[in-house]
Amino acid sequence: MNLELTQQIRDQARGLLKSGTVKGVIGYERASDGLTARPFFAYELTGTDQLIFDETCSHNLVKYLLDKKGEKMAVVVKPCDSLAINLLLNEEQIKREMVFIIGVSCTGVVETAWNQKSQTLQARCQTCRLPKPVVYDFLAEQEPIRRLEGELYPDILEMEAKPIASRREFWHEQFGRCIRCYACRQICPGCYCPECFAEQLSPLWVGIRIALGENELWQTNRTLHLAGRCTGCNECERACPMDIPLSLLNRKLEKEMEELFSFRAGLTSEEQPPFATFRKEEKLGFEE
Amino acid sequence: MKVEYQPKVIGFLCNWCSYAGADMAGTSRISYAPNVRIIRVPCSGRVDPLLVLKCFQRGADGVLISGCHPGDCHYTEGNYHARRRFALLRNFLDYLGIAKERLRVEWVSASEGQRFAEIVASFTTELAELGPCVKERSLG
Amino acid sequence: MNLLASKDNLIRWLDLLLHEHVVIAPVRVQGLTLFQPISKAEEVDLDFDNTTLPPKGWFLPPTETLFSVQRNDGQTKLVPAMVERDALIFGVRPCDARGIALMDKPLLQEPSDALYRERHARTVLVGLSCRQARPECFCTSMGSAPNDASYVDILLTEIEVGYIVQVTSKKGKMLLPESFTEYEGVLPTPPEPRAVPIKDVMPAMKGLFDDTYWERLADRCLHCSICAYVCPTCYCFDVRDYSDRGNIERVRSWESCQSSGFTRIAGGYNPRATKGSRLKQRFYHKLLYFPEQFQDIACVGCGRCIKACPVNIDIREIIDDLQQLEAKSGA
Repeated sequence: MNLELTQQIRDQARGLLKSGTVKGVIGYERASDGLTARPFFAYELTGTDQLIFDETCSHNLVKYLLDKKGEKMAVVVKPCDSLAINLLLNEEQIKREMVFIIGVSCTGVVETAWNQKSQTLQARCQTCRLPKPVVYDFLAEQEPIRRLEGELYPDILEMEAKPIASRREFWHEQFGRCIRCYACRQICPGCYCPECFAEQLSPLWVGIRIALGENELWQTNRTLHLAGRCTGCNECERACPMDIPLSLLNRKLEKEMEELFSFRAGLTSEEQPPFATFRKEEKLGFEE
Repeated sequence: MKVEYQPKVIGFLCNWCSYAGADMAGTSRISYAPNVRIIRVPCSGRVDPLLVLKCFQRGADGVLISGCHPGDCHYTEGNYHARRRFALLRNFLDYLGIAKERLRVEWVSASEGQRFAEIVASFTTELAELGPCVKERSLG
Repeated sequence: MNLLASKDNLIRWLDLLLHEHVVIAPVRVQGLTLFQPISKAEEVDLDFDNTTLPPKGWFLPPTETLFSVQRNDGQTKLVPAMVERDALIFGVRPCDARGIALMDKPLLQEPSDALYRERHARTVLVGLSCRQARPECFCTSMGSAPNDASYVDILLTEIEVGYIVQVTSKKGKMLLPESFTEYEGVLPTPPEPRAVPIKDVMPAMKGLFDDTYWERLADRCLHCSICAYVCPTCYCFDVRDYSDRGNIERVRSWESCQSSGFTRIAGGYNPRATKGSRLKQRFYHKLLYFPEQFQDIACVGCGRCIKACPVNIDIREIIDDLQQLEAKSGA
């Protein structure tokens, strides 16, 4: 456990609850394995002692703000998670005055599973460019802040270089395994439709069969709905029980959105996402 | 006897320009390749990427999306949105293993019957060279 | 009398079985171990902890066609789906075998589920004892054991020189080859998984239906369906009809009580609209309703849901919490 950060988070949470500024604090506590972290909601002062922060705090807690729209909540966010706050502010899903953001300056989180903790940083952390959250009310800081540089999309470039037939085969293999548990959707801060297209009956976009064709429709359209909106927390991939490499889909579109529209999701809450706008003069490769 | 491979093309044509353009080809007695099955839509901006994917799953070898020329959209800006969406989809399909050449976006006005016929002809020829697309069954 | 099979003989036997049966066995797929039909015995992973998904998918597949409708010359014919071949599931852990026995209770009671019944009748289960208890395991608290032979036709237990073969059914006996020799030694002591006291959980639940505990727990829950899909005893499904170019099919697929689309009823009303109410349903069904109806808790202690849950909803913790809450309120 990172004592320095944990203490700052606990103090802040205590202050907020004591003064009645917030109804509750969304943070992390130790999981039932005694090793990793899990989301935790502190509503009482006594609960704040359970709050922790360390390199196993992978969850993007911003998702939970969508369930708590009526109440002012405090939420602990890492720099990557804070991008999702901007996304939800931009899309008017949360109100800034209803959230107290406890930012954490982060040195990266490691790969974890229940009762397992690896020593290596998650891939996304190895190329993380954000030293501190893009939006916060209080910052729990620690020194030194490491800024990591590196190629952002080596795996995507590798996939793009494969022959087209083997790409098709690769994705069929991956989608074929999907069991449509929708954990990828449920954990995603960008997925908040009251009724997902995958569950709509009229029109029936995707059938109920848990089979390659339907799974492909689900996964590809899930990704497309997040184009220019995915903030790269990669929680979907971490949640997937079938080890489908969802970051290869999400980050492909992240790369495309950057190349086509010079846009990265979540950096500000003001800029309109690419699919909400257009420029008349752009050609985008289509002849006129 | 060897039957020559005939690619199947689904064409989503906007009601205001491209569908009328295809109609113009017909009334002007310009013959064009019968490979395209036309679906009339209110606007190119109405075409959801999922519909395109479903076409490929159900046996299309190519999908043509055609709308009014930029600036001429009946709904002012539908085709601008379509342009952005399909610029992305084309690259994404390619990444998934469906060659980007299989998705074409063209702007055809109501008076461009000849142009519509030429687009269908060149698209069909190009698809014939690519060969059949891998199909995948889905229901619903 | 138990038998002994050397590893080589076991592999040869499996290859032999492939002539007459579809053999479904644990196979490594990327980082996962999945039950899959094999074409050669050497594909089998014999050193797995437990499979990512339970073997229930063979009896109740993630997706299956129940029947199709064929139309010819104005005639309409219903063609029910058939089970084509006899199957053998190899490498079933004792807890998962109990899971199938528990699914039998609702699905084989009359009127029974025809396809499930048919698959059941034509499937042989070859179990594999656990050499070690994993941190998520608690099978002994849920009516089974790492070396429980009660719910399989044949149970294999690995020892240094090969596998001890216990045969518990006629179906199993008929399949044994002559290459297996008699074994008079004792069975190894099974590992001891963590014990979870459950004595007071049923009475405790009766008083806690409206407790705020459920809402608090639901705060964290994402309401995905991982827990239901990795569970060896969850058997909910959805059914829908599809018409595709004149070909009509009735399809069923796994569904789960955690999905709001599943609990929603005709007309759009959702009796379990809140997260808390759906999460509660999962545990009330497992720990109270199912035992009231079928005398057993609908959990076998395999621990898959604990391992796979992205936010660590741990059924063992909940069982403990409920009993403690009740003890506190009673005192």
